[in-house]
Amino acid sequence: MTSTADAQVTSPRSKKHGSFLGRTAGSPLLRLIIRRVLLAVPLLLAVSLLVFILLEAMPGDPARNQAGMDATEDQVEAVRRSMGLDRPAPERYITWLFGFLRGDLGVSSVSGRPVAELLAERLPVTLELVGLAFVLSVVLALPVALLAARKPGGIVDRLIMVFSMTLLAIPNFVMALLLVLVFAVTLQMLPAIGYVPVQVSLVDNLRSVTLPVLALAIPMACFYARFLRGDLGEQLLGAGYIDTARAKGAGIWRILWLHAFRNSSFGLLTLVGLNIGALVGGTVIIEQIFAMPGMGMLMLQGVISLDLAIVQSCVFIFAAVAIFANLFVDIMYAVLDPRIRYGSH
Amino acid sequence: MRDTDSSARKPTYLRLLTVAAVGALALTACGDDGGGVAGGNGNDNGNDNGEESGEPQQGGQLTAILDSAFAGDWSTGLDPATSNSVGANLGQNAAIFGGLFLLEPEEDGEGAELVPNQAESAEWSEDGLTLAVTLREGIEFTDGTPMDADAVVWNWIRAISSGSTATVNVNFDLEREAPELDDEWLDSLFDALPDDVDEDVIMSRLGAIQAVDDRTVEIHLSSPNAALLNGFPGTNLNYIGSPTAYEELGGEEFSRLPVGAGPFIITSNQQNERLELERNDNYYQDDLPYLDALNFQSVGGDQVAYQTIQAGQGDVVEGLSDVNLIEEADRNPDLNVHLGAPTSPYVVQLNARTEPFDDKRAREAIYYATDFDAINEGLFDGQGDMSQSFTASGGLFHHAEVPGYREYDLERATELVEEIGGLEVELSTTDLSTARQVTTALQTQWQEAGIDVTINSAGLGDIITKFVSGEWESILQTAGAWDPAAGIGVNVRFGSTVPYSGAPLPEGASSAEEAQAEGLETELDQLLDAAASTIDEDERQELYEEISQYISDEAYAPFGPAFSPAQVVRDGIYGPGLTEPIPALAVNQQVLYDRVWIDQE
Repeated sequence: MTSTADAQVTSPRSKKHGSFLGRTAGSPLLRLIIRRVLLAVPLLLAVSLLVFILLEAMPGDPARNQAGMDATEDQVEAVRRSMGLDRPAPERYITWLFGFLRGDLGVSSVSGRPVAELLAERLPVTLELVGLAFVLSVVLALPVALLAARKPGGIVDRLIMVFSMTLLAIPNFVMALLLVLVFAVTLQMLPAIGYVPVQVSLVDNLRSVTLPVLALAIPMACFYARFLRGDLGEQLLGAGYIDTARAKGAGIWRILWLHAFRNSSFGLLTLVGLNIGALVGGTVIIEQIFAMPGMGMLMLQGVISLDLAIVQSCVFIFAAVAIFANLFVDIMYAVLDPRIRYGSH
Repeated sequence: MRDTDSSARKPTYLRLLTVAAVGALALTACGDDGGGVAGGNGNDNGNDNGEESGEPQQGGQLTAILDSAFAGDWSTGLDPATSNSVGANLGQNAAIFGGLFLLEPEEDGEGAELVPNQAESAEWSEDGLTLAVTLREGIEFTDGTPMDADAVVWNWIRAISSGSTATVNVNFDLEREAPELDDEWLDSLFDALPDDVDEDVIMSRLGAIQAVDDRTVEIHLSSPNAALLNGFPGTNLNYIGSPTAYEELGGEEFSRLPVGAGPFIITSNQQNERLELERNDNYYQDDLPYLDALNFQSVGGDQVAYQTIQAGQGDVVEGLSDVNLIEEADRNPDLNVHLGAPTSPYVVQLNARTEPFDDKRAREAIYYATDFDAINEGLFDGQGDMSQSFTASGGLFHHAEVPGYREYDLERATELVEEIGGLEVELSTTDLSTARQVTTALQTQWQEAGIDVTINSAGLGDIITKFVSGEWESILQTAGAWDPAAGIGVNVRFGSTVPYSGAPLPEGASSAEEAQAEGLETELDQLLDAAASTIDEDERQELYEEISQYISDEAYAPFGPAFSPAQVVRDGIYGPGLTEPIPALAVNQQVLYDRVWIDQE
């Protein structure tokens, strides 16, 4: 084990800075990560405040909603007190924030259960959906884009572009209903609704998530494929390094994969990062349609029943996922491109 | 103080505005239970569109698909004392707890009646102040403990003292002395009540609700309430859980996996998603239930529900309300569609407390400018059950026509609008497709009479806020209940001190609170009170006709077509509430799953 004294002796930089930040200052990548993480903190705080303000501005009275339509004013006030809504908004926000930092997300005003417990039950479902949809969208987009870019303007390229534009134009809830109609109602190959946990059966789990994952992944895959095909096509038309590769006798697949795609991967990475938020947001509708017990469904139920504790935590977590996805993309840039690392330095 | 049954909650309200199912069977309301009910429920076979379905068969598993926005929402748990959705979760509650009373189709299939189920009988005293409920002998909870009078008192005290909005709101006689009670029993009761409960209040309630012998419980009221008994199946008083199981499981677990004496036992509960139950072999009726297993699956909306049954993952869709899907289901050879008996007509509530509808001529102009027949034909293929009052053919005290009711007369409407120097109206409704269609049709009709109409289509929260603030002019609603005095019945829409009413305040009162504090009432309030306070059915019929007449004469709200959601059932499934319509207590009809059976051939 290295003592602080040892570290100071062995690291001349540490003598100069004397702190953890100072010690890591020598690594541009680490400095970048720390700076981005530190920037994410105020961003998350701002998001939590914005969400709180939006929920405050939301029409409807959660206490009356909870008490019922023909509850007396006394009953409504009693419910308001029990929900803590009689306290000033800033006080409630601060309470929520400090509770959140301690891992206490409050209690659902509808079910009376701790929000953290509800989220813990539902997060794995949403993570599985988002994770699989993320992977599938990229895995589908890559070969399709490469195939289309192989001969720009050719019949395959045109068919792929028309087909992908059509699928892209279909909203994901319509896509979901169409998938159910084809694969569950007509072909009866896959279940229309429901979620089977992986612990029960891996096969049944995969069967149960196939349609929702497809509904989430297909529009994303089309988007990525169209972007990638456009970028690859541009490079094929006039980039000097492509001409050089061609002059050296490289085949089209080699050119696409080793030269053009590498260059396009930065743009794709940006798109994928930006779309993580959209993917997570898409689960709100998709989980409802497929009766998947995930966070999206929980949030929608929270919105309908004005369960502020649920909505606040869900929106915050969704926002945090989007922020950290972008943070990850930034870091990946730096990992992949030394210019960014050292530029930041 | 008016007695109102408060079983209705916001989800119910939401659904009331959503309901737009096709058609209604012309069921004639019939009620002869005012003096009490006695007898047993028959094991009548179901029938499918009038065809005999044969002898019920044992066995099979059934999955019922429920809308997550209504019957499929049991987010406040399944403990009747603390659940806020007892009236929406009728199927689940009947499956788990059975129910002291049930609303059943009458033998001639032309109406409905309240019948004792786990109760053997219910008897009102002559003065209507005491209701004696006697239990059947020998019923046991599924944990083996007896369902006796003490258990009922324990449940009822919890039901009215735990903050559930699904309980009754009646005037108990709190002056009576509580009987001598066993300390252990009292401890068990107080352990199951909220921490902040007032012990004196509970003791006075124990005076009003008493076990008089092992099987009989009496409820003592300070003023009669006819809707108490009729409203039972929609309130938490109807569903009795095991006190012993509560003590063993604790409140949270009991809310998730309650123990009752119903036809089924819960095996798994994913709150708000899926509830799985298996047959209770010790159910009090020897041959019942017919099914071996019953599942409730919650899904998001009609389209998903319909596709789920098409995909074979469900056998029954409860309460389908989308007109197009109902028609499609009707054409599907594997499915049968059964329409319920409606009790809730559309109504345009007019706020007579403020301009412009504080002028009776403005209200009359709306009556004359409204052609609900055309809307019924245009939007609902003429299958709505037209009404001129606050209930429909499935409800008690229904009277199809009200003498002198102002029907569509464009010329007269135009004259009135001119007479009052023009009329500008804001018509509000919830932001739901069917409601929007109806308001758009109304806007077109009213504009023909020279009325300037602005539609305010808002979320439910906004609409409730508007109601409560009193800052509204007209709102499209649906209104009604099987018993008009229960749930979102006529009192809620037309009582002068209710937040959801536009009826004028009593003379001398500037606010509802002031009217309540000073005990001021309008003539309509007195009629509503009188109708709810007598158990004489003939008298109630007369009073409700008088109330309809009053509302019509004063032009408080034009009424339109009534609908009841449809039950979509896979071929070969039969049972009351599915293939035999039962009127909706408020919104949805209760399916009696203990007598639902599947043709095994």
